[in-house]
Amino acid sequence: MIESLKKQDVRKRCEEALQKAKEYQHVLNAVVTFYDIEEQLEGLNAIREDAPLYGIPVVLKDNINTKGVRTTASSRILDNYIPVYDAHIVEKLKAAGAVIIAKSSMDELGMGGTNRNAYTGKVNNPWDVTRISGGSSGGSAVLVASGAVPIAIGTDTGDSIRKPAAYNGIIGLKPTYGRISRYGVIPYASSLDHVGLFAAAVHDAAKALTVLAGRDDRDMTSSYEAVADYEKAINSDIGGKRIAVFDNVLEAIEDSRILDNFKQLCETLKKRGAIVEHVRLDDSLMNALVPVYFIISNAEATANHSNLDGIRFGMREDGDTMEEIMIHTRTKGFSSYVRKRFVIGSYSLFEENQEKIFRKAQKVRRKIVEELARVMNGYDVLLAPAASTVAPHDEDACEEKLSKTYLVAENHMVLGNFSGYPSMSVPTGFLEHMPIGINMTAHPFDEQSLFDIGAAIEEETGLKDKIAEVKA
Amino acid sequence: MKYETVIGIEIHCELKTKTKMFSSAPVAFGEQANSCVNEIDLGHPGTLPCVNKKAVELAIMAATALHCEIDSLVKFDRKNYYYSDLPKGFQITQQFHPIGTGGYVEIDTEQGKKRIRINRIHMEEDTAKQFHNEQGTLIDFNRAGTPLVEIVSEADMRSGAEAAAYVENLRTMLYYLGVSDVKMEEGSMRCDVNISLRRTSDDPFGVKTEIKNLNSISNVQKAVESEYERQSRILDEGGVILQETRRYDEAQKTTVSMRMKEGSVDYKYFPEPNITPIQLDEAWIRSIQQSLPELPRERKQRYEEQYGLRSYDADVLVQNRELSDFYDAACQYSKEYQLLANWTITELTAALNKANRKMAENRCRPEDLAQLVTMIKAGEISGKQAKEVFADVFEGKDPKKVVEEKGMKQMSDEGALLAMVQEVLDKNPQSIIDFKNGKDRAVGFLVGQVMKASKGQANPAMTNKLIQEELKKR
Repeated sequence: MIESLKKQDVRKRCEEALQKAKEYQHVLNAVVTFYDIEEQLEGLNAIREDAPLYGIPVVLKDNINTKGVRTTASSRILDNYIPVYDAHIVEKLKAAGAVIIAKSSMDELGMGGTNRNAYTGKVNNPWDVTRISGGSSGGSAVLVASGAVPIAIGTDTGDSIRKPAAYNGIIGLKPTYGRISRYGVIPYASSLDHVGLFAAAVHDAAKALTVLAGRDDRDMTSSYEAVADYEKAINSDIGGKRIAVFDNVLEAIEDSRILDNFKQLCETLKKRGAIVEHVRLDDSLMNALVPVYFIISNAEATANHSNLDGIRFGMREDGDTMEEIMIHTRTKGFSSYVRKRFVIGSYSLFEENQEKIFRKAQKVRRKIVEELARVMNGYDVLLAPAASTVAPHDEDACEEKLSKTYLVAENHMVLGNFSGYPSMSVPTGFLEHMPIGINMTAHPFDEQSLFDIGAAIEEETGLKDKIAEVKA
Repeated sequence: MKYETVIGIEIHCELKTKTKMFSSAPVAFGEQANSCVNEIDLGHPGTLPCVNKKAVELAIMAATALHCEIDSLVKFDRKNYYYSDLPKGFQITQQFHPIGTGGYVEIDTEQGKKRIRINRIHMEEDTAKQFHNEQGTLIDFNRAGTPLVEIVSEADMRSGAEAAAYVENLRTMLYYLGVSDVKMEEGSMRCDVNISLRRTSDDPFGVKTEIKNLNSISNVQKAVESEYERQSRILDEGGVILQETRRYDEAQKTTVSMRMKEGSVDYKYFPEPNITPIQLDEAWIRSIQQSLPELPRERKQRYEEQYGLRSYDADVLVQNRELSDFYDAACQYSKEYQLLANWTITELTAALNKANRKMAENRCRPEDLAQLVTMIKAGEISGKQAKEVFADVFEGKDPKKVVEEKGMKQMSDEGALLAMVQEVLDKNPQSIIDFKNGKDRAVGFLVGQVMKASKGQANPAMTNKLIQEELKKR
């Protein structure tokens, strides 16, 4: 999509993107803040026209700090927060010529998978506005799926890019932990947070990763690993590629139509010369994914968000003492959903609980990662359906049920966050006019395998650049 | 003493780095409020910590000097609590893996040398500074994020004097290392003292109180002693000591309660996820350890053993590193070590005080003082003359030139002096008779005559000797 956009006039394509996002707003509710793009268009004069994203309109999830532009993380407590600095990736995007048109809605502070927990309200799915976008990067997902922009930035702590990507029929990439700097990204859980992106085509995703990736000295977890020209290197000839099918997930999916779509894909990949075999992870470890995720993510989150106290920035509720100001601000500033997660996180860190809850969760996380490494040994990617259903209707989007479907089929992608392995969702078809997709996980820093196999899938499905028509 | 005092000390010491522990904002003291801060120091959303390598280096130096074992795998943890001087709502510290453990510091006590064991030394970041006034509270974030080491001793001290000696010892040591400014009055070194009493050393530890924020070494001793009085009075009356945090009130000369310690606070420590463990290069650690400067205890030993200085003089010199460095430089030019020490400690210090100059503003060159001392020892000038010459040497003048200009060179040529002595004796026969009759003061008169004849330049000691010899011959 980027290459075809580049045939249009720069101003025109950016203005059209902004225009579309604005038109769709009352239907999708995807945007928190629209940009005035004039300044950025002028700024392009200082950028070479052959810069990879020259004049390409993009959207940022609203937890990406933008100097001078309101950044709320879809939380009331940051409703008036205007960052004093740009996130590392904002500098990178600007240097590459990208034009930011909007900051997109998300589940408050990244907590949630539906995007119903946003301070500005729920985000609707462009394929069927009575259904959820998924989250937490829901706004970014639907702005790509509706064709407003070719690239949108998201973040992924559990599956917050890859799940909404699947629900919206687009590419969702969460690269290796440390591949993209997190400096300036409002966190959820530091050891699980990844910056990633949405695109309507594999080539665009690969191009964007090359722009965003690379060492940043301000993020000690960012990697020195060299950054490839992933797009140029894409090779959709996947003969000999070794693909491991994730049986635990297949077993947990009830809808046979999803399974049929997946089996068909596997046959297609085999026909293209890939070696497709079946693997399974230890069941008890699979059942531990959700509890381990909840404990670690919320323990880190409760500390990460202790800075939101009303003292130095953000909203402030009055009080007679500093302590009162903090209590009142935090009580009013966070939704009860977020406060509940803080309580869970805090509880697991109490001295009397820490060993048997938080530390144990960390140990189980390590066991899970070792198990993942074991089953992926000898394979290029681990492959599974991204979700057990299409995007649910708003009223059906119930989280946190302890069924096998929920524990395994709906949450297996958190493996990519536990391990830091790169992982990508790719659309593979439609079920009753709603998109469905698969998820692939590769070895650390082997994003190229994801792009190669993704490109092959795209060639087979013909879903490249497929976007929803939104009736504004 | 009716009770034994048991003292353990925690010292927070700001490291002398250019930038902060986890951000690139400058470390400065006395700058305009909130001018040395960036988004990290203010705990803005999305910021991440980046470990200051220089701070790690300084911490390794301190840990080595404290004879601690170094943990080459550097890890940090979060200490969680809400307070308005703590921007992130947690402090990054080293709870579970301090950089140094199990060391000691040697102090001098009345009973001789004593080792105070060090439990741990770890790195962490400082908080912001708060100012409370009638309108409310003002916060200056300049200090927020300044690198600190916390040094925790075992409860090995038994008196206020030992506590003061320990703090003084650490202070000079850290200063020599160049690790910290150690200015207690400016807060770059802060001292919390834990004190409990017990009947005998066989009894278990009593309930302790913590005295916070002592701002001078003399106050450490005073606070311990007044807290001993307070606690012993309570115990004498059959009361119980409450576990609390106190401060030392200089005006009242007593400790005052700040707050009760109601059980310990749960800081919910857990590993800092944004700093993955850093494996330090063993060769790097070794190179830091091998290039440690000479420490005060080593220097004192050198002064005593190599230069033969009195222990007291060695102490006085070592406690003031700049003065001691001056002395060391002077010792390169003269082997009159004790005499040099005397002149450095008394004359130079007095002159500096009188001129209201710091060592950094000192104009006296070590080689000149050494020269002066050499001239005294060689009898080229008298002690009285030397003091006069020193006034100019203090201003940076060469003592030889001063002596020349003032024409005060001492006459020490034995031949010339003898001729002068003979002449004086010839002129004063009555004095010779007096001497023979046992009137020793005649010698003094004769020396005075020689001095007069030489216009004060005759070496008095030599003159005296020659006169005595010549008198006996006559």
